[in-house]
Amino acid sequence: MLIMPVISGEGALRNDDNLVLALPRGRILDELMPLLSRAGIEPEPALSDSDSRRLSFSTNHPELTLIRVRSFDVATFVAFGAAELGVAGNDVLMEFDYPEIYAPLDLKVGRCRLAVAEPREMVAGDDPARWSHVRVATKYPKITRRYFAARGVQAECITLSGAMELAPSLGLCRRIVDLVATGKTLEANGLVEVERIAEVSARLVVNRAALKTRPDEVGAWIERFREAVDAA
Amino acid sequence: MTRSLNKALLPAGLRDVLPPNASHEAAVVDRLLAGFASHGYGRVKPPLIEFEESLLSGAGAATASQTFRLMDPVSQRMMGLRADITVQVARIATTRLKGAPRPLRLSYAGEVLRVSGSQLRPERQFGQVGIELIGPAVPAADAEAVLLAAEALSAVGIESLSIDLNAPSLVPALCAELKLGAEAAEDLRMALDRKDAAQVAAAGGDTARLLGALLATAGPARRSLEALDKLDLPEKAAAEAGCLARVVDLVLAAAPELKLTIDPVESRGFEYHTGVGFTLFALGVRGELGRGGRYRTDGQGEPATGFTLFMDTVMRALPEPEPGRALFLPWGTPADDGRRLRAEGWVTVSGLEEAGDPSAEARRIGCTHAYIAGAITPVE
Repeated sequence: MLIMPVISGEGALRNDDNLVLALPRGRILDELMPLLSRAGIEPEPALSDSDSRRLSFSTNHPELTLIRVRSFDVATFVAFGAAELGVAGNDVLMEFDYPEIYAPLDLKVGRCRLAVAEPREMVAGDDPARWSHVRVATKYPKITRRYFAARGVQAECITLSGAMELAPSLGLCRRIVDLVATGKTLEANGLVEVERIAEVSARLVVNRAALKTRPDEVGAWIERFREAVDAA
Repeated sequence: MTRSLNKALLPAGLRDVLPPNASHEAAVVDRLLAGFASHGYGRVKPPLIEFEESLLSGAGAATASQTFRLMDPVSQRMMGLRADITVQVARIATTRLKGAPRPLRLSYAGEVLRVSGSQLRPERQFGQVGIELIGPAVPAADAEAVLLAAEALSAVGIESLSIDLNAPSLVPALCAELKLGAEAAEDLRMALDRKDAAQVAAAGGDTARLLGALLATAGPARRSLEALDKLDLPEKAAAEAGCLARVVDLVLAAAPELKLTIDPVESRGFEYHTGVGFTLFALGVRGELGRGGRYRTDGQGEPATGFTLFMDTVMRALPEPEPGRALFLPWGTPADDGRRLRAEGWVTVSGLEEAGDPSAEARRIGCTHAYIAGAITPVE
């Protein structure tokens, strides 16, 4: 007879009545603030203070907590049910393609596009029809591979987490796949947008199991955000 | 020089289950099966491996990409290691038991193996426990499956169960009646699966309006049915929605306290389903505890319904087992005393040699009590 130390159930989620809303930090958070306030959420002031080291914030709703994480991590927190709700760009959703995430609402902020760019001097002499293989620097290896595979081109991805625009000029590769908002960063680095992969905007995302097991509460928050978007 | 592999390392997605968790899982499986048996379901036990052609035909086609294959040196044919048991039970029903009276009620429990896990569900081997009800395609059969799943899970201690009812053939019926092309229908289905209202709206036209309205009906069962009722669905799609409504009525009549939600547009994981489907969730538990629904054996064969519980998730949803009582019998305890104590319900652990202080020895090996001079003494 062996009595073993009992393993704690890592699969069990937080079993309380709280809801967690995961927000991406950075520029998009500023764009989200008016929307939050129209949805009746007043976060404590530290949320918009980018110098604050805190990661979780209370709101005027005792049952609603906000967390501030990297945009890619919003999808992971929501997919695993660590946060019931979140805000993530559809670039992030396309990259991960988690079946546990529902994206019921386009928040219509954080608009930009996911595009392929290459050096200006390359554009003239380049015939995409002849490609069988490209090397691309990107934060989105899965989307990039899928996009090129659909046109019969194998994409070798160099995964970077920032400053993609430097890669072509330093000879790391000739093309990049990245988010483009105004195109100024591309231009400053001698790059031109050659193809558009997808239009991007921020989405309200919810965890599938949370929506099914708490349809009224989670559904009510989706509705509030819908009204907030419509009022904009 | 490569370092030799650490012996404890298992391939990804595989694990050793240790005491007390292994016996806990076995006890839960037994209780589930006993619940199915009490409703007249007879247990079948198909083999682990079958010929690929039969394992992956019909409803099994959906598991093709998840199935390990190996070559049978005897018959020189390809075999598949089951990634799902439903298709095996359906095969049994249509071959060996084709003469058995309908409705035919079968249950099963066994392990399955899959080529890859997902990030959220990394297990490649896990237990499946379930039932199949082969026979007439009537709403009462669908309701029986839903109710039995709910009853079995509550009986093993799953709290706050939540059942999501789906109509996996509704959207395909709707797309066909609206004469959508295959590609457009596929894009719409993906958007519907993600509940991406913006993407659905982007499709434009009457289709988008109808599907958008359908998407918005998802929610608690009663409210959802009312909303569905108000939609002006084409004939076939309306029939699918009607089916769903009858099943909900039957389920709620039998178990009014059951938490039911409806999601008419969910189609993921229902690749081979032809009627009402359902997914089992529990409050605060990641992922699905199980799923079920109406299908046809062998693709076009007999109507059937059933469900499968995923034991990895079910066990995660249950509280950890209470550590049991165990009584240490020091070396030299008469054999008859041991027999008597076990008959009284004690778990006894015998000392194999003289070991000094029996209390200390009992504590060392994890017993809660020691048998000292004919008396049961707690050691904590």
